[in-house]
Amino acid sequence: MNFQSLINSLQYIKPEIVIAVVIVLVVTTDLIMGKNKSLLPWISIAGLIVASFFVIEQFSFKAVSSNANGSIGMITADPFGAFFKIIVIVSSIIIVFFSLSSNEIKEAFERHGEYYTLIFGMILGMFFMISSADLILIYLSIELLSLSSYILAGFTKHSLRNSEASLKYIIYGGASSGIMLFGISIIYGLTGTTNLYLLNSFFHLPQFGGFIFWLACILIFAGIGFKISAAPFHFWTPDVYEGAPITITAYLSIASKAAGFALLIRFIKVTFIDSVDASGYWQLLNLIDWKSFLILISILTMTLGNFAALWQSNMKRLLAYSSIAHAGYLLLGLAVLSDQGLIAILIYFAIYAFMNLGAFFVVMIIANKIGSEEIDDYKGLGYSMPFLSFSIAVFLISLTGIPPTAGFIAKLYLFIALVDAKMIAVAVIALLNTVVSLYYYIKVLKNMYLVRPEKEMPAVLVSPAAFAMLIVLLVPIFLFGIYFTPLVNLAKSSIGLMGF
Amino acid sequence: MYLTVLLPLLGFIINGAFGSKISAIGGSASDRRNEKVIGIIGSGVIGLSFLITIIAFFQTLALPVEERKTIINLFTWLKVSSLDVGFAYQVDQLSLIMALIVTGVGFIIHVYSIGYMHGDKGFWRFFAYMNLFIFAMMNLILADNFVLLFLGWEGVGLCSYLLIGFWYDKKFEKSTTSDAAKKAFVVNRIGDFGFLLGMFLIYLTFNSLNFNEVFTRASAFGVPETTFAFIAIFLFIGATGKSAQIPLFVWLPDAMAGPTPVSALIHAATMVTAGVYMVARCSIIFASAPAILTVVAVIGTLTALFAATIGIVQNDIKKVLAYSTISQLGYMFLAMGVGAFSAGIFHVMTHAFFKALLFLGAGSVIHSMHHEQDIQHYGGLRKHMPKTAGTFLIAALAISGIPPLSGFFSKDEILWYSFANGGFLFWLIGALTAFITAFYMFRLYFLTFEGKERFGHEKPASTRSNRGEHPHESPNVMVIPLIILAVLSAIGGFIGIPEIFSGEHGNIFHGWLEPVFKNAERKLAIYGLHTHFQEILLMTISVAGAAGSIFFARYIYLRKPSIASGTAKKFKSIYNLLWNKYFVDELYDATVINPIVKTSDSFLWRIADNKIIDGLVNGIASLIESASVVIRKMQTGVAQFYAVIMMVGIAAALFWIVLSL
Repeated sequence: MNFQSLINSLQYIKPEIVIAVVIVLVVTTDLIMGKNKSLLPWISIAGLIVASFFVIEQFSFKAVSSNANGSIGMITADPFGAFFKIIVIVSSIIIVFFSLSSNEIKEAFERHGEYYTLIFGMILGMFFMISSADLILIYLSIELLSLSSYILAGFTKHSLRNSEASLKYIIYGGASSGIMLFGISIIYGLTGTTNLYLLNSFFHLPQFGGFIFWLACILIFAGIGFKISAAPFHFWTPDVYEGAPITITAYLSIASKAAGFALLIRFIKVTFIDSVDASGYWQLLNLIDWKSFLILISILTMTLGNFAALWQSNMKRLLAYSSIAHAGYLLLGLAVLSDQGLIAILIYFAIYAFMNLGAFFVVMIIANKIGSEEIDDYKGLGYSMPFLSFSIAVFLISLTGIPPTAGFIAKLYLFIALVDAKMIAVAVIALLNTVVSLYYYIKVLKNMYLVRPEKEMPAVLVSPAAFAMLIVLLVPIFLFGIYFTPLVNLAKSSIGLMGF
Repeated sequence: MYLTVLLPLLGFIINGAFGSKISAIGGSASDRRNEKVIGIIGSGVIGLSFLITIIAFFQTLALPVEERKTIINLFTWLKVSSLDVGFAYQVDQLSLIMALIVTGVGFIIHVYSIGYMHGDKGFWRFFAYMNLFIFAMMNLILADNFVLLFLGWEGVGLCSYLLIGFWYDKKFEKSTTSDAAKKAFVVNRIGDFGFLLGMFLIYLTFNSLNFNEVFTRASAFGVPETTFAFIAIFLFIGATGKSAQIPLFVWLPDAMAGPTPVSALIHAATMVTAGVYMVARCSIIFASAPAILTVVAVIGTLTALFAATIGIVQNDIKKVLAYSTISQLGYMFLAMGVGAFSAGIFHVMTHAFFKALLFLGAGSVIHSMHHEQDIQHYGGLRKHMPKTAGTFLIAALAISGIPPLSGFFSKDEILWYSFANGGFLFWLIGALTAFITAFYMFRLYFLTFEGKERFGHEKPASTRSNRGEHPHESPNVMVIPLIILAVLSAIGGFIGIPEIFSGEHGNIFHGWLEPVFKNAERKLAIYGLHTHFQEILLMTISVAGAAGSIFFARYIYLRKPSIASGTAKKFKSIYNLLWNKYFVDELYDATVINPIVKTSDSFLWRIADNKIIDGLVNGIASLIESASVVIRKMQTGVAQFYAVIMMVGIAAALFWIVLSL
């Protein structure tokens, strides 16, 4: 690879370059402007918008590349990656707005420079996770994401809860990345390469297989499973979600999970694929029974998540478990191992981003007002905060998957994919899980609307900024619940991974 | 064209969301003005829709015949494998006629309602529902696929229930208006179930729910007749529910609990004809199943006769009109059944004119009589409200089939086709029903507007709030719609003059609709077997019979009222049978409702629900509870423990692999 081709290939990482520039900008602005931090969020948003232009450009990149001669590098740029990057960008923009109205973050005013720098560190890590096609880069990008998020989880230093969350996150994260690195080293030892495309061509050779090979793959999966909080690698999730500042919790539950999923999908499809048949089903190499493995993991994940959520009394913890359950549903989409399943995942993620962010946002606003995240303190909120209660009701109903909200469409496409793949039994289990989830979501609504508050609460008004934010989050929930064709079409055109 | 659908929705949104605010502006002093704002918004949007429909009509008229069908695809709604449902509207000859009727008559009735509903506390709610109804009805008519049609179908049903129970706190006969609404709801559900089954079967057979595709595939050969028969019978069950045919007609008389404009718009002019429209739209499917077509004709004929006979003895002015509606709908189905699709739609149109007029006239009478609805307590009202009486007379003549009013042309066309295509018996019963219709309509007219005044003294004065006040003519906002409808009822028939009178021009209405039905008619192929002489003969018979009935009614109810009561006494059993509407409600109570109520109470509720289901649910709940306790316990908060679980998880996965190797 000569210098010229290196320069040429830079055009494929324009979004990543923009993010890196923003990191530098934020740090220098923070230094120059001194006490005045109000510029930082706007620099961040401007940077994200610029990055989004370059990402949209990547939608038009041909999914089937001409790099058949084996000169594939570490980075891919394809519509699939662009879709996930857009999800990351949109949720980042929303999170920046969240941070503007979050009391927790406002209190740590003097460290805002640090806050936005670390967020962009996370974004850079996620972008590389989404587009990396090399085990080394996968590991590095996960570390970049993780290290930034460890610090952010403990961002408000004076809170004991925060520090505990951060520490647990580091220990657990350290352990799982160690395990993953071990897996990668075994793979490298077996094949002498870390590039996914090269691995794929190696694995076509007959001599691969056996226990050691399985071991490596499962160890790598453990590292990714940690990021997407799949059982049994999910234990950090509730503790960290509860302890971290709520903006970061919301961010971890969407963006970091999206990046993890993009990585997992790319890893499995690129590395193990044999061929894609006419109706869009992926024939994997006969090395590892990914299908059964993923089904097992996803059922375990959604069941554990839902069952544990049943008795939670803290809203953040409840949403943490619910996000574990949703990771389970999403894994099912992958377990189908077909283009249709992939489409379902993309649709699910786009909708999930809005409804989950919305739910966290309302929880945050309510916490700002009443100083509590306990479900018991939500009693009678339907009367004192009608608009906030209505919004969270919509988000929770959508998370359950009841029409006419977008959450229904998300689940619908997922179940259609399952049924089309003749995975009826799995679909039934997922459906029963949805019923279980209905219980704990509705419990919140019951507290808000049917239980009288212990003490009279004055009517609380929502600030115009928060009102606008909620409208922005509510509109897609209803819009995609009724008119979802554009989203479906976008998802259909975004399933192209480089090389396929 | 799609604006005609969206405008009523806009009206609904404005009146629904801000109606209560508008009526609250300025306190109670400015009630009248606020009502005007709501009324103008409510009727204005319908008026605009009507204008747009007229424009679209003339644009379509200017096109050559083959191009008179446009599809407006707003957006794709559902696309799942081979199921492709669009929010698409189909503007063709049939849907244009229906749209003209719905928006035109709808507009007139909206204007009328401004006067009729004056002072009602739910004024804004009324207009919001009415707008929503027009929106749903336009969806039903203009839909280019079964799913959108079903959306409209359910939408009009919803509005119908909302409006039947509009005065939800009012007593209605033995129960309340909300019970009447409930009855309509339940009966319609049965029909809708049939319709849904039909829809599923269509999708199964033709792999599409789009009208064009289904009908094209249906005209091709290769689908067995039995499949068509099943589809047709299911669709027809749906139609019997919506259009109040035997055996699902029982809800319509009770639907009269709603405000009278509602009865006029929904339960006479438009919604109840949705079943007829649907059968006409699916004419090719019905034509492919001749046996079911005969069933349609038989049911239609029987319903016509059956309802007409009940109409003779009813005393509630709206009930008489309700049974007359059922009877006229029977005619329309008879027309469908004998393959005279355009004649049926023609009757839908003329019936919309004169039946809306009848109901609005009745509303005008009820309005001035302070909500007295018993015709035995009317009489001599012509002196007090001449305009209402005059327009009512025109409508009554039209429905009786007196030339040259509109009803004559449409009804006689149906009778002629039922003779030519169906057979003598259909014609006989149809003609007989026509005579009965003329009789009871004029019984209604004479008892209400002519003869002695029978109001004002038999009721104790205390129950009347406005005692001493004479019945009075209604305000202009109500009378002008009556006059417009009267003109339409009088001349509306001229666009459908049969061939024998119009000569070379042929039947204009028939010619307009011909492209829509030509496939179905070609499939049936039963035309031109009879002579013009026969046609004129039959026409003469029916006109003479109707005129005779009118004079008979005049003789009995004006000259010799004693005959009526005498006959009723003499044939007490028959009178009772008719008075009690053949005991159909009681029959349903005994055979369907009571057994269901009993089983659901003793078995379903006490055993199945309380013991089995609740037990099961509680059992599962406690199982889940204990499971979740275990899971929750695992979340100890100790990071080392989590790491251990992770390792155990990996080990378990590896163990599983070793086993499967």
